[in-house]
Amino acid sequence: MNAPTEMNTERIGTRVAQLFERWGVVIAFILLFAACVLTQGSDFASVENFRNILNQHAAVGILAIGMTLVIVAGGIDLSVGSIVAVAAALGMLTMNALLELGWTEWTAIAIGASASVVAGMIAGSVNGALIVFGRLAPFIATLGGLVAFRSIALAMADAGEIRSQSASMFRLIGNGGIELPYFTNSAGKPLTITFATLLFIVIAVVAQWFLSRSRYGRQLVAVGANETAARYAGVSVASIRFRTYAIMGGLAGIAGLLQCSRMNSVSTSQLGLGAELDAIAAVVIGGTSLRGGFGRVWGSVVGVVILAMIANMITISGISPYWAGAVKGAVIVLAVLVQRSRVVR
Amino acid sequence: MLEVRKLTVDFPGVRALDSVSLTFRRGEIHAVIGENGAGKSTLMNVLSGVRGPTQGELLLDGKEVRFRQPYEAIKQGVSMVHQELHLVEDLSVAENIFLGREPMGDRLGISIDRATMHQGAAHFLSLLGSDLDPTRSARELSIADAQFVEIAKCLASKARVLIFDEPTAVLGERDAAKLLSLLKRMRDEGRAILFISHHLEEVVDIANRVSVLRDGKFVAAFERYDGVLRCKDGKPSREDALAHAMVGRPLGELYPTRTPRASAPPRLALNAFGAKGKSSGINLTVAPGEIVGIAGLVGSGRTETMEAIVGLRKSVGEVLLDGKSVQFQSPRQAMSSGVAYVSEDRKGRGLHVSLSSRVNCTLPTLDRFARAAGAVMDIDEERATTDAWIRNLGIRCARPESPISSLSGGNQQKFAIARWLEARPQVLIVDEPTRGVDVGAKAEVYRVLHQLAADGMACIIVSSELPELRGMCDRVVVLRGGRLVGELSRERLESADAEERLIRLASGLSETKVGTL
Repeated sequence: MNAPTEMNTERIGTRVAQLFERWGVVIAFILLFAACVLTQGSDFASVENFRNILNQHAAVGILAIGMTLVIVAGGIDLSVGSIVAVAAALGMLTMNALLELGWTEWTAIAIGASASVVAGMIAGSVNGALIVFGRLAPFIATLGGLVAFRSIALAMADAGEIRSQSASMFRLIGNGGIELPYFTNSAGKPLTITFATLLFIVIAVVAQWFLSRSRYGRQLVAVGANETAARYAGVSVASIRFRTYAIMGGLAGIAGLLQCSRMNSVSTSQLGLGAELDAIAAVVIGGTSLRGGFGRVWGSVVGVVILAMIANMITISGISPYWAGAVKGAVIVLAVLVQRSRVVR
Repeated sequence: MLEVRKLTVDFPGVRALDSVSLTFRRGEIHAVIGENGAGKSTLMNVLSGVRGPTQGELLLDGKEVRFRQPYEAIKQGVSMVHQELHLVEDLSVAENIFLGREPMGDRLGISIDRATMHQGAAHFLSLLGSDLDPTRSARELSIADAQFVEIAKCLASKARVLIFDEPTAVLGERDAAKLLSLLKRMRDEGRAILFISHHLEEVVDIANRVSVLRDGKFVAAFERYDGVLRCKDGKPSREDALAHAMVGRPLGELYPTRTPRASAPPRLALNAFGAKGKSSGINLTVAPGEIVGIAGLVGSGRTETMEAIVGLRKSVGEVLLDGKSVQFQSPRQAMSSGVAYVSEDRKGRGLHVSLSSRVNCTLPTLDRFARAAGAVMDIDEERATTDAWIRNLGIRCARPESPISSLSGGNQQKFAIARWLEARPQVLIVDEPTRGVDVGAKAEVYRVLHQLAADGMACIIVSSELPELRGMCDRVVVLRGGRLVGELSRERLESADAEERLIRLASGLSETKVGTL
């Protein structure tokens, strides 16, 4: 009569599975962090290194935030990397043109930056319109966007680079920041936290709030969980989905602006290349369901940091960067395996 | 043949089954009845391998068995026809019937022998008295046909024990009768039939043995001998005795007494209305305080017509609300004008099964709980509202935050209605308001609808249950083939042959044929 004990272990197994499902991403983060500290020591576990990680990945992080919303609504957006390029290129061309016309640097930058964000939103709206009004599958519509927006960016600069005409001010958006009290870098100078990082954090907090507490977030979850039932309940499914892709586009525009400001130039063939996959990977690692109807922004943020830590560890340890992809791939698959609910119906 | 001993199943916070012992014999139809949440569905799930018991054992032909997965149960000859049907929509009827057991054209198991498969499918369907084309796509099937395919699937798997979870709930009167005679035939062929139903008449008609569950416990048994269903002391028992055993207290009148109201100008009027391609030329009015019933067989266009009113489908003709012509583009627009529609399909359309009771309860009226231009939802207020409905309708549910899928079908149905009552509609259209709902909950739903009508709401009830239409409605109209073919007034509804008239109208049978129905 060992049935009861068998039952108990089964139940404990379920508990553990539930624990992993909910907190898997945090556990993964802690394990990875510990591994990094053990192998890299203080090089890794410094505030400065973390600041660098966040700064370098703020743009992908912002994409992952938007992607979380898109995926919760039951969609996908493959075009974000290309939107990054087209938005950055358009913004920089606008800024350069205004500077040549003799506008003050400040206004030219402001208008150029706005142009990036607006261009992103327009590109996102095109996706949204194709999906909502054209009734295309999100995968197909944004696959088209992936190809088409990249091509537009390439055409803008003959596939080359657009250099910023702004002397130094434009670089500040992506590189400037606020000095942190108490912390100094390895050279003993005060440590700055960049505007890009701050923007990433603010957007994450706002997006998490909207997802879990606002009316829009509720409708998003309802649409993602069961679109038909949402329609029957009087949710305006078309408007929710359209808005989500437009927001995603706008966030991609912001990401593009940050990236091109960091480099002070736009490489139309390279900027944002493959960023959609990093963003989707971060979202998946973060525990958001690819089927829609459930998700969390904070998970995606941790997901981005995990991906960044892997890249960082490989750089610091001097392993060939070509191995980064293999490790990333393994982490993504592992994350999904661990978080997958055991109750598969 | 199949036996359970001291079966206990625990869910978080609830004991769904408490030490239940039952025996199911071959050649018997064994009905299990009980209120929503009494544990019937849980029992069936354990028997069919959907979930394991917390404690207790399962014996098949006297040997202890454990089903970890439904296919293990099916392999041993125990098959279940679920309340919600599970066909693969992209496959054909035959492919569904033989799913996982496809006849192979060669030894290696590479190619499927389609001809044999189609023949086999047609054979099993003909055993059921259905002439469905095996090559049709499952997507196009009506609910009744889909159910036949499910049963054919069980037969194809050589099932010896068949479990039916409210099989007639989704069927019209005629299909239900067909199904019941089929159950009898399968019983006479030596199978053990387990049968859950809320239709006590059906139970009294066909069951050899009835077990009653209440709050997860076994409380009473009835057995048929000398052709009559009797309780332990041998007294013949009819519906009321069963109902009494289910609820544990005498049941009040199921239907409230409706008093005719002075005629008022119609609140909702349909003018040569219809759902594009499904129905047309329907003229119908509903006055404040009036409850109008819509009868019709599955496929008569009842549901489609109602969906067209609230903008879920393209419509033809005209809708007048308080005399003004309106055309709703979406349920949202309809709701803002005070017209609400409760879908018949609560799992697929009426509710979000993966979300919590609270979220489900407030989804149609989200705007009411939104603060700061929608930036914040007032979750406390939502919770209070959900709690209020839980109390009002006597919903059995652990917490407002627990997923609605953890509730029994009847309690889910109460939420499906509650969420629209929360919108305080002036016109409420309810499609199959008591499908899969037990007697006690039914009385609750009827009481609420009656009360709302008394307060001046105009109500349309679409139903396949003729007693329900008779008991609740001031008038009943009948649809057939997308057209309005008749109307029965209150006086007509009270006459003894009302149901027969309704069936005749709905099925288009001539008077002489009705006798054989």
